[in-house]
Amino acid sequence: MPEIKVTPLGAGQDVGRSCILVSIGGKNIMLDCGMHMGYNDDRRFPDFSYITQNGRLTDFLDCVIISHFHLDHCGALPYMSEMVGYDGPIYMTHPTKAICPILLEDFRKITVDKKGETNFFTSQMIKDCMKKVIPLNLHQTVQVDDELEIKAYYAGHVLGAAMVHIKVGSESVVYTVSVNKFALCHSGAAWIDKCRPDILISESTYATTIRDSKRCRERDFLKKVHETIERGGKVLIPVFALGRAQELCILLETFWERMNLKAPIYFSTGLTEKANHYYKLFITWTNQKIRKTFVQRNMFEFKHIKAFDRSYADNPGPMVVFATPGMLHAGQSLQIFKKWAGNDKNMVIMPGYCVQGTIGHKILNGQRKLEMEGRSTLDVKLQVEYMSFSAHADAKGIMQLIRMAEPRNMLLVHGEAAKMEFLKGKIEQEFNCYTPANGETVAVTTNPSVPVDISLNLLKREMALGGPLPDPKKPRTMHGTLIMKENLVSSEQALKELGLNEHQLRFTCRVQLQDPHSDSDTLHRIYTHLKSVLKDYTIQHLPDGTVMVESIVIKVSSSAEDANAKVLLLSWSYQDEDLGSYLSSLLKKGLPT
Amino acid sequence: MDSQCVSILPRVCGVLLVSGSSLPDDTSLEKLLDWFTTIAQTGTSLLEACPCLVDFVSKVAFDYTSGSSILSFTLKLTGLIGASEDGFKVLKECSVLKLVFNPQHWQEAGLWEDPCLRIGWIQGLKMILKHSEALSFFAQADLIEPLLQLQTDSSLFVASAANQTLAQVLVLCQSPSSVGHNGSKNRDLEHNSLSMESTQNYSGIITKVSDYLNKSVVLKEISQLPGSQQILRLLAMLLVRVGPPLRDTLLLAVINSLEELVSTSCSQLTVPLLDVILAANSGLRDDCVPKQRLIRLLWVMLNMKKPVDVMQAAAAVLRSHQSDPALSAHSARVLLLPLDIVTGVSLLDENSTEEELRILITEQLKRKSCISMICLCLSNIPQITLMASDCLPCPQRLIVTAILLLLRLCCVDSSSSSAGCVEVVRFITGNSKVQKCALEALLVLSKSPGVKMVLVEVFKVLTEYLNSHSSDPSVLQKSYQAVIKWVGVCPDLSCITDQLREGFIQAVRKRACDTRWEARDSTVEFLGHLVGAPSCWAFTEQEMEPSDVLLGGRSFTVPLLKEALQDPESYVRASSISALAQTLTPSWQDGTALTQEQEDIVTQLQEVLFQDSEGFARRAAVKYFIAWFSACSSPSSCWLLMQSVPTVLSQGVADLDWEVKLHTLELAELVLDRAFSDPSPSHPYAVMSDQDHRLPIAGQQSDLLSSLKNLVDWGVVSALLCGVVDCDRPVALKACQLLLKLRGIVCPVMDNTADTRVFCQLAGASMMQQVRKIQEMGKDTCVVSEACSEADKEGICASVDPECVSVCEVLRVLDLDEKLSILTQSSDHIYNSPLSLLQDILTAAAASSPPGQDPRQELVMDCY
Repeated sequence: MPEIKVTPLGAGQDVGRSCILVSIGGKNIMLDCGMHMGYNDDRRFPDFSYITQNGRLTDFLDCVIISHFHLDHCGALPYMSEMVGYDGPIYMTHPTKAICPILLEDFRKITVDKKGETNFFTSQMIKDCMKKVIPLNLHQTVQVDDELEIKAYYAGHVLGAAMVHIKVGSESVVYTVSVNKFALCHSGAAWIDKCRPDILISESTYATTIRDSKRCRERDFLKKVHETIERGGKVLIPVFALGRAQELCILLETFWERMNLKAPIYFSTGLTEKANHYYKLFITWTNQKIRKTFVQRNMFEFKHIKAFDRSYADNPGPMVVFATPGMLHAGQSLQIFKKWAGNDKNMVIMPGYCVQGTIGHKILNGQRKLEMEGRSTLDVKLQVEYMSFSAHADAKGIMQLIRMAEPRNMLLVHGEAAKMEFLKGKIEQEFNCYTPANGETVAVTTNPSVPVDISLNLLKREMALGGPLPDPKKPRTMHGTLIMKENLVSSEQALKELGLNEHQLRFTCRVQLQDPHSDSDTLHRIYTHLKSVLKDYTIQHLPDGTVMVESIVIKVSSSAEDANAKVLLLSWSYQDEDLGSYLSSLLKKGLPT
Repeated sequence: MDSQCVSILPRVCGVLLVSGSSLPDDTSLEKLLDWFTTIAQTGTSLLEACPCLVDFVSKVAFDYTSGSSILSFTLKLTGLIGASEDGFKVLKECSVLKLVFNPQHWQEAGLWEDPCLRIGWIQGLKMILKHSEALSFFAQADLIEPLLQLQTDSSLFVASAANQTLAQVLVLCQSPSSVGHNGSKNRDLEHNSLSMESTQNYSGIITKVSDYLNKSVVLKEISQLPGSQQILRLLAMLLVRVGPPLRDTLLLAVINSLEELVSTSCSQLTVPLLDVILAANSGLRDDCVPKQRLIRLLWVMLNMKKPVDVMQAAAAVLRSHQSDPALSAHSARVLLLPLDIVTGVSLLDENSTEEELRILITEQLKRKSCISMICLCLSNIPQITLMASDCLPCPQRLIVTAILLLLRLCCVDSSSSSAGCVEVVRFITGNSKVQKCALEALLVLSKSPGVKMVLVEVFKVLTEYLNSHSSDPSVLQKSYQAVIKWVGVCPDLSCITDQLREGFIQAVRKRACDTRWEARDSTVEFLGHLVGAPSCWAFTEQEMEPSDVLLGGRSFTVPLLKEALQDPESYVRASSISALAQTLTPSWQDGTALTQEQEDIVTQLQEVLFQDSEGFARRAAVKYFIAWFSACSSPSSCWLLMQSVPTVLSQGVADLDWEVKLHTLELAELVLDRAFSDPSPSHPYAVMSDQDHRLPIAGQQSDLLSSLKNLVDWGVVSALLCGVVDCDRPVALKACQLLLKLRGIVCPVMDNTADTRVFCQLAGASMMQQVRKIQEMGKDTCVVSEACSEADKEGICASVDPECVSVCEVLRVLDLDEKLSILTQSSDHIYNSPLSLLQDILTAAAASSPPGQDPRQELVMDCY
């Protein structure tokens, strides 16, 4: 039986470094190619040697599909394509293709800043990698090759995030990122066809949580910023170039406008200009609310948010500053943090994940004395807040998605083992559910259905019998003959290949006629008559009391009741079907007198 | 080791015991293990350095309620401790070893099912197997059984680690005299070689392994296929790592099974099976019996029924570079068959033995699967070109001809027809996978002997591709690469006619305004790369640049590149700036007079520096000036360059992108070096050491003074002072190094009267603050305004500017040496320290509250 195999190289029972291999209908597909930001050696990338030991990924993989622009889903892509070597197609949506290089470039700059960093991709490699990317449109079926096709759906996680339906013949898999029904303010809600895939692979990051509403988190964030500003403090929000930064900018801009606040908001990074540009460009990928608002006002053109100059950090009075990098481990954000850390009126809001070893990680864990370069100690007096705006799916969202797509099997990735177990329990009430660990292969046997055209007559006949109308949900048995049309071969070859014996099929027909002669005379009269009509045919009067015209055999018998009523028995092979029909109609007309 | 770490470690171990797997960062345990490994690698006894570890390991082993990640960590840690003989002894004495490495113990606890634990077990075992004591323990505890079971584990990671560990066991088991015979010398074993006596004790292990391999290699039913593949991978690895006589023992144990497996002709096993046979074959003498049997097996595989399997086998044989010429020649013939059939170019002479294969391949080529077969053929062309010419089935020129025809058949716009298999054309037309493979092969073949005569044909086909509206951007990129490669190896371009050139120019022009940025960028990159190609002979029989021959030179490229400076895509803008620099470099080197066009470019580049929202373009702009300055033999005589330098420096050093700032400082360094260099150095680009810069004091002071003034005027000093207080470490480091260089040149020579005559502006508040701070400390009270007013009296400084300072004084008062020592360390050196890691684990544990109540638990998952 054919089977689909799924092997996570990353994101199997853990979070980060998503990389899932799928083997379907003889095709090999890599879903996502992420990195783990917590390591600064080879461990940050998936180990591609498990895929193929000779390093020729192009020979093995038919395509790579990237679900969205977060680095734990695309961060290893330039490493894989340019350093390990992969020359095949890479698919992602248009917005992901536009934004992905910004994040990769951002992270490259942070990484190579560190001393002793080797084995990391360059700017040129990012560009060369992006040149290999084929952009996807939503709901458009893309033919990777003659057999493999993919189709992207809206996933509503972050801008450009997509669910992907992968199909080879009648087998299919759907891969989806952290789909969130209650999507963030800039992303619309997820939607997919009722495509009934063999496997639905879904992230399960917040598998156990029914999360507090987005509105609550936003309100909390604005309240904290407002309180700090009111008491004359400064707020530092360390961000990466894209993602959270845009969400928070929209929030603050709207709030400042509504509350008529005067305290300045600054943005310290140039990269964001490009990010904002893309948000504007891909406005159709955002949700209806944003699109509507956009008609009245371009919400990415900020009135209150201005570019930052490093001298502003020393200005007296309240202010809000967005600065990179997001983990407070280098650059502008760290410099501002050092300046402001000593004042308990100030606040730092960490909106994202911080790698162990960074200042961000330390202060989030409550460290209040930090040893800085030059052996000096920094007393952290400012308030430290963590706000998650992550747009991952919760249990409810995943269940809704499952009901929508109706998969035969479910496979969970990108979540913690213990929490996945909880969701697995819920799903297993309705579907088969797998949660493979990294390196473990799940093999799902498929029952490939062969699509067949049914003749209209057959369908009509079935309906005439009074049965229910055809319903794809309710399989039923129908009788008919299956005609295969793919290859035409000689019957001898077909018999040989299939190991069958040949059988002769003969058609028979009875014709009644009035002829007041003996049976043998009638047969002779038939012989003479046919001889005169069918001049080019071989006609024989055989001694066994039959007349043969080619393969057609004609016999005569008398009726028991009436000796003049003759019954002619005609039999012919399918090769002489036309002639047989002709003879039967000819003889029905009677014999010449 | 840091005493603070030692004092904290017991508390950390306590936290790990209590917190189980609920550490907030999933990398902490791995990093902790990295630290212990580093300690062990330095030769320090891990137990002496961290005595609390044994207690920790014992507690986890006896009370296995910890989470699976802690258990896995503990197993690995046990292996690390036991890797040293003293550590092993201690672990053995406290009965930890037996318990920890007993799979039964974990199975009974219901934990063995967790792959995380199995990977800990296997890696711990691998670490411990470094000495004879450990091997004795391994043998006595009969750990070979569970190890063999794990060879085909359901987890790819566990199975792979188990394969590695088994190889290590066998390497340890083999006689010390043979270690390293097969290039597999194990460093650890040099110090821990086993006695012959103990070697004999391990024959039981070897027998079990041999039996296991022999039994497992044979495929009994199709459901065992993944296991069989894994065993073959293991066998291939063992045959490479283990030396004779053990290697021969293993080979003899499995060779019958291998023969049986070959006879099953299972497609999925073709490649791993070949790897085994080739690995076995590589180390054997020609006259030994297994060698002959292996060669026979290879022949069998090269004559299998399925064409794809045969081709895979042929590719593997060629890749392995094995020595049998008949095998190689046959493999090459097999691989070239699809190309021969598709194109109809007779690459192979009539050979009745291949007739059946030809028929089978022809049939296969009429199906959709032909793509992978053609690609397999093309991707192995490089191996074929490496073969000795007498083994080659045809001249390489013929292969090029066939590939060119194939490329034409693949091109949508081409009207070429094939004399070969017509049915295949509908599958390959427009197929970018085949196109890319064919172009790759064409790239490799450019170096082949006798192929230069087909240059015109190559050029025509590549032009067709560049012209084709349906060419994929990656195909266009490869086509450009092929042009560069072929032009680079063909010094004689006289065959390129005007008509050909015109067609090529049109194609390039068309691609330069392609709607896809990828195509535009590759075009612009190509224009730059072409400048770097070696000179050639043109049709005029003159030596010319390829760019001149193919494109008509700068009159074509520069306007095209100037236009690309306005491209909406930043990658293209950056590439066009780089290409312009490459194009103009020869004229800068020659000292050719500047044109209006070049002046316009400079204006545009300054606009890029001021206005471009993208780092790529701004970086390229600064690099343009670096290239110009480097190429110019006398920059000071180039007014436009010297006029631009101050603008570039002031703008570049204030950029948001630290790489732009860093490149700006590289430009500053060039200017600085040139300012103090000998007016007539032996070589204009010679690197100057600090010593070289120290000019004789007498009579040189005024020269130095004027050079320093020039540097101030050009904005070099301001840029350096701005850079040294930058928040990005690489920028501050570079600026600090340059300031130290400047100090080394200037300060020893300048006396007190001279040095107050050169002033500079202090750019930015940070620099001002630093200098003021030093002033306040009483180190110097007359650096700033006073010096300025003094200078003012002498008419040097036009106005009293509080930001105006004496350069030498600043160089002296700034503690550059201290700054350099801080900056030389990584920006995150403190945070990556073991102490930081231990503190993080402690504070995280202290901060965490019961699950569900702590909002920070989301941190773990909230990735970027």
